Order: sequence, then C-alpha cells, then structure tokens
Amino acid sequence: MVNGPLNGIKILDLTHVWAGPLAVRFLADLGAEVVRVEAPSSRGPRVFPSSPIGGWMGGVPGDEPWNANAAFNKLMRNRQSFCVDMKQHSGRLAFLQLVAVADVVIENFSARAMPSLNLDYDVLREANPNIIYVTMPGFGSTGIYKDRVAFGPTVEAMSGLTYMFGYGRNQPRNTAMALLDPITATNSAAAVVTALRRRQQTSKGCRVELSLHEGGVAYSGPWLIDEQLGNVPCCIGNRHPGMAPHGVYPCDTEQAGESWIAVACANDHQWSALYLLIDAHGMMLNRSWSLSQRITHHDVVDECLSRWTASQNSQQATTRLQQAGVSAGPVNTAADMVADEQAMARNFFVDYESHGVPMPGNPIKMPELNTHEWTASPDLGADNADILKRWLNYDNRQIQALEEAGVIMNAPPA
Amino acid sequence: MANNPVRVLEIGGHSAGYSGRLFVRSGAEVVRIEPPEMVPSWASDAATNTYLHAGKQRINTQDVRLVGELADKADVVICEASCADQIDSWDFDNFLTPIKVAITPFGRTGPKRNWHATPHVLLAMGGYTHLMGDEDKAPLSLPGHYLEFQTGALAYTVANACLYARPHRDTKDVDIGMLETVMALSQFTVVRWHCTGDVRSRHGSDFWFISPSDLFRCADGWVYLTIVPGFWDPFVVFLQRPELSVDPRFCTNDDRMAHRDVLRNIIAETLVTLSKDRIESRAEACRVPLGAVKTFSEILKDPHLDQRRFWEEIDMHVSATTVRSPGLSFRIDDEVRPSLRLNDTENDHV
Repeated sequence: MVNGPLNGIKILDLTHVWAGPLAVRFLADLGAEVVRVEAPSSRGPRVFPSSPIGGWMGGVPGDEPWNANAAFNKLMRNRQSFCVDMKQHSGRLAFLQLVAVADVVIENFSARAMPSLNLDYDVLREANPNIIYVTMPGFGSTGIYKDRVAFGPTVEAMSGLTYMFGYGRNQPRNTAMALLDPITATNSAAAVVTALRRRQQTSKGCRVELSLHEGGVAYSGPWLIDEQLGNVPCCIGNRHPGMAPHGVYPCDTEQAGESWIAVACANDHQWSALYLLIDAHGMMLNRSWSLSQRITHHDVVDECLSRWTASQNSQQATTRLQQAGVSAGPVNTAADMVADEQAMARNFFVDYESHGVPMPGNPIKMPELNTHEWTASPDLGADNADILKRWLNYDNRQIQALEEAGVIMNAPPA
Repeated sequence: MANNPVRVLEIGGHSAGYSGRLFVRSGAEVVRIEPPEMVPSWASDAATNTYLHAGKQRINTQDVRLVGELADKADVVICEASCADQIDSWDFDNFLTPIKVAITPFGRTGPKRNWHATPHVLLAMGGYTHLMGDEDKAPLSLPGHYLEFQTGALAYTVANACLYARPHRDTKDVDIGMLETVMALSQFTVVRWHCTGDVRSRHGSDFWFISPSDLFRCADGWVYLTIVPGFWDPFVVFLQRPELSVDPRFCTNDDRMAHRDVLRNIIAETLVTLSKDRIESRAEACRVPLGAVKTFSEILKDPHLDQRRFWEEIDMHVSATTVRSPGLSFRIDDEVRPSLRLNDTENDHV
C-alpha cells in the first residue's frame, strides 16, 4: 500500500482483462490497500502455449511464466495476491471473511458469473452490510441485452464511436483498441469514490453497476443531443468541425519508414502563423481566411501543408510549428513516448518492475503520491499467509491446513 | 449528499466541464467559469453545453479577483487551462480552496508545459494515433472528446478521494497532464515494445492477432465481430456454415490467421444480404460477440437503454426544448436519474 488519500480503504479485487484491473490500479495508486483475489488458474496454465500479447518480463517466460506476463503485470502494481480455490468450502469461507472486513469488492465478470458462484450482492451484503460492491457486466444486469456476449470492440460499435470514426462517410472503422475498457475503468474509479463518499455520509453500503455499453454511449453525449437538435453528425475522417486545418500529415517522405505529424489550428491566429511558417504565398491560400473558408478549402490547405511537412522529420516540423504558436505534435510510437523529454522530465514512466521495463505512471500528480513507494505486480498467491494473518488473524496452523488441502496455493494447477 | 452539498468551482474547457458534470450528479453545487477561449467542440455549442453544463450555475467572467473569491469559498476547484502559464494567470496557487486540481495539456512542469496542443495532438503524442487506421493510409485520430472526458473523470476521482480523506488531511494540490492521461490509458504498447522489441502498428479495424475480427458490411449498415478462439464453434453455427468447424484452414486461430482473407470473404458473403437486426438476433441466440454499428438515431431509440432507464431529461431553457441526454455511466443501487436544466451564463446570482 502506498501513501495517498485512500489510505485505510480495503479493496478486494476480482477483476480481469483490462477495464477492471485498470480501475483498481487508479485506486491503488491513490493509496487504497488492494488484495487481488485470484483463482488458481486465473493467470493461465503452468506452460503457456504461446507468448502473451505484451511479451514476457525480461523477454523469456522463465520458471513461472504465469508471473511473467508483461501486459498483466503492467496493470497489477501496488497490490497483494491471495490465491484461493473458492469452490472449496474453506476457500469460500475465507473469501467471505475477507469481505466482512473490506470496504469494496470489485469485479468485471459477465452478469451471470457472481450469481452462479452464489456470491451476488445479497450474499456479500450478508457478510458485510456496509460493503460497496462494484460490478461491470458489458450490457448491465437488466434489459434485453443483458445476456449478450460483450467485448470492448463489439460494444464500441453500438456506442456511436464506430459510426463517427474512420476515413469519411461510408468508410467507418473500429479503433480496434477496445476503448470502452479504459472508459469503463475511469468510470469505475469515479464510481467507487462516489460510493465511498456516500457511505461516509449515510453509513450505508451499496451496489454499483456499470456497463461498457452505457459508458460508451455516454461519451457520445454531445452528438446524441445534436442529433435531436437536427444537426446530424457524421464521420469526417481526421478533420474537425470547429478547427481547420486539422489532420495527420506525412513527414520525411524520402526516408524509409513512416513518420507523421498531427496539426490542429484551433483559431485564426494559429492559422495566420501557420500560413507564414509554410510560406504559403502563391499556394492558392489566403492568410485572412476564416474558419469556414478554411474548411471549404481544406483539401488545398492539406495539400500545401503536406508538401511542407514532407520535407522534414516530425520532430523538426513540430518544433517549428510550436515556436510559431501552432498546436502540433509527432505521431509517436511506444519508443518515442518513452524517450519524450516531457515524459522523462516528469518521470512518467516508472521502472518499479524487474528487468527495467518502463511502466506507464499515474497522470494524477500530488506531492504526497510518491512513485518510489510503488510495488511490482505480486506473484500469484505471494501474500496468502500475510493476508490471512493480518486481515483475519489466522494462525500458522490454520494456514498450513489450507495449503495442504489445496485451498490456497501459489502456482496454477499441474 | 444534497443536504450539505460540496461546493465546486469549475474553470475552463471540456475536461473541467466533464468533471463538473459528474459532481452535479453526485449532488454538488457547481459554479462554472467559462474559459477565455474554448477549445472547439465536436458538436454544436448548444449540444455540448447541454451535455456538460446542465445543472450548473455559469458565469462569463475573466475577473481574476472575483474568481479568486469564489475559489476561496469552494471545497474543490477544478481549473483547466491551455498551458501551465494560463493556470498561473488565474493566481491558482493562491486560491484557499482545500482541494485544487489543475488540468493542462502537458502538466504544470517540464519543458513542454507551455506547448500548444489540442486533444488531436495529444492523442498523437501519447501513442494512440499511431495505432489507429489502415496500414496503407494516414493514421486516424479519434473524433469526440474521449481524452477530455477521461481526464475529467480522473479529476473527479482524485477530488472525491481527497474529500473522503479531508477530515484528516491537509490541503491538496493536484496536477493532471492530459498527455499523461493518454499514456496511462495505453493498452500494452509500451511493454510490448520493451519486452519483445515489436513496435505495434495499425491494422484497420481488425485485431491482428485474432481472426476473424473486423467490420463487415450488411444490408443496412455495418456490424463488427471479434471471434476469439473459444467462440469459433458458436460462430460457425451463427454463420449457418457448420462445415467450417472441420475445415482444416480454420481449425485454430493460427489457421484462421493464415487464411484470414478467405475467411473474411466467406463471412462478407453471408452477412451482406442480412439486416443489422437479423444479424444481432442470430448472434445473441448463438452467443457470439458481435455489435451492429449504430447511428445516433438508432441509439436514441435503443430499447435496451430505455428499459434500463439510462436517459436523463434536460430542459434547454433558452430554446424551450427538452432533450434526452446520457445519464451517468454508473448507477448506485437504483437511484433515479434526475431531470436537469441548462442555465444561461451570467443570469445567475452566485
């Protein structure tokens, strides 16, 4: 546990994949004490059939590949791990005892999962009437879609984002980045603190529900209202209805490999500065064009700007545009991001894991939050004994009995 | 919480606006100071204001002293500005507010603290844009206010965490850089690059490691599907092509990856004649992960959202119109969504 405003809050983390673990990471970074309650096979088998999507910490699976999944570890800092088989009576009992002394239980299974384990809100509330229970089924636990299978990218299509995202009318694209997961993550963190404040004032626990679907639709809010006002929104590629030029332009076109720059003229002043910088005299552009004129002539503006960006690399072009007062930045790869001087100056990427892997930090900066306190993703079951002793006052004999019965463990089943 | 409402002063753009939106719905009293120059919105001003600012009191002033007085009386101030120096220009550091959150594109420190950036630029610098769009075309930027709303939600979260701790803690000063928000919300790009040496690239709408996963045209629009290995058997039932389950070209995800173009054509041929409704019904019956690409008019009429009482009503006051707006993205117990009103600027006595 690190220092922060959520010190004293105990969270039982049953989340998986991306939305839930990221939500809990934000809360852990703010000082909550988080215990990850993990099923023995939750991190995969003892031998992985293939390399995980983010690779292995250190580049190789090692003796315990289930503890070396880089994408998983990225999300799991500042937590402890309690690995328990809840299908066994004493495992379930230990979990409910933890619930009794926790503040929050958070999970992101399907709507069917917790009820099928006989661990729905009513059961948890019986163990602890003040518990805050957070669940995030893809379409919610009610309504006609509640039993549909929900993955971030498929639900994204239903949110309005896919309709607006792409290269233009009738050329939609999916971001293929599962954006509803990080949306649901921030919404969940916001929901937890709201529920904590509510409990502080009412002394009552509660059930908090989020759906990926509603989180995505909520982010389309301004467009949904515009639709009702008769301003029918549509996909306009990399352009913007209130800024021009606005796009992604090629750089260094003579060089091998791709390089791009994002440019956005947010006002007339920036346009005038851009016009002078790219030496647009004789290019059929006009320095005094208004926004609507720039939108009308966007094709020719893009052509002239692309000609200017093509002759230099994205860093050079960015520097010159920024010096002229124009919003611009390179289209960065992961390597570029880690090397960015701003990210380095603010110590955004943090090397708290093994093997020197730079992990994304916390965008919330406060004097009392110190990344030097951060702890790496715990190994599976690494804290079984500590949690049973510290949270539940189990003695060594009781813990040994649970280990011998295979109720708690620190490796996937053979 | 409405009995003793928290007072929030919101200064600035869409991030602060989103944060204030969440505060309104948690029972806080929110006063908004309009920024000197607003970053343009993706929707009309009327729509954006209705979505973000209903239920707030709004003031159009650049009077630093007045803003300082309001800040001193607030429990929380969320101040968003175009750069670090603009935060300073509000005399932010001298506000007496117990919880102060500054939002800027790059944060309040560092060599780029006064750079010019819109969300489009920050998404590019933060690694999102490089991953989106087709391999042989320009990268795509994200439309809408994703970055601002995500940052606003984080500002709301930390402010509430500080409110929770407030009886026992000192004044809080928070610095949120939007570039760091993007980078914190990255999927696995950085670890993959570091651990494997691979620079992730863009692949249109598909997940390059899963086949099939893509957008498909249908009779009245588009649908998106992602068939991870465990869903292959239900998927061939959905397609009404059971013979594919024993086709050696498609037995494993690796096989399907190797023959993804052939598979794509088979799926495209099947779906192109069917309507979105029919495809969705079939997917639901077969338990296949699939979503139809919805237009906004379809979303507004979505029976599932109606059943879940998702919408809230907002009285637009000036135009004497009531619209439905998305409610909060989370619900606590069965709390009822409020009806709200969009107030004019400067018409309120704060």
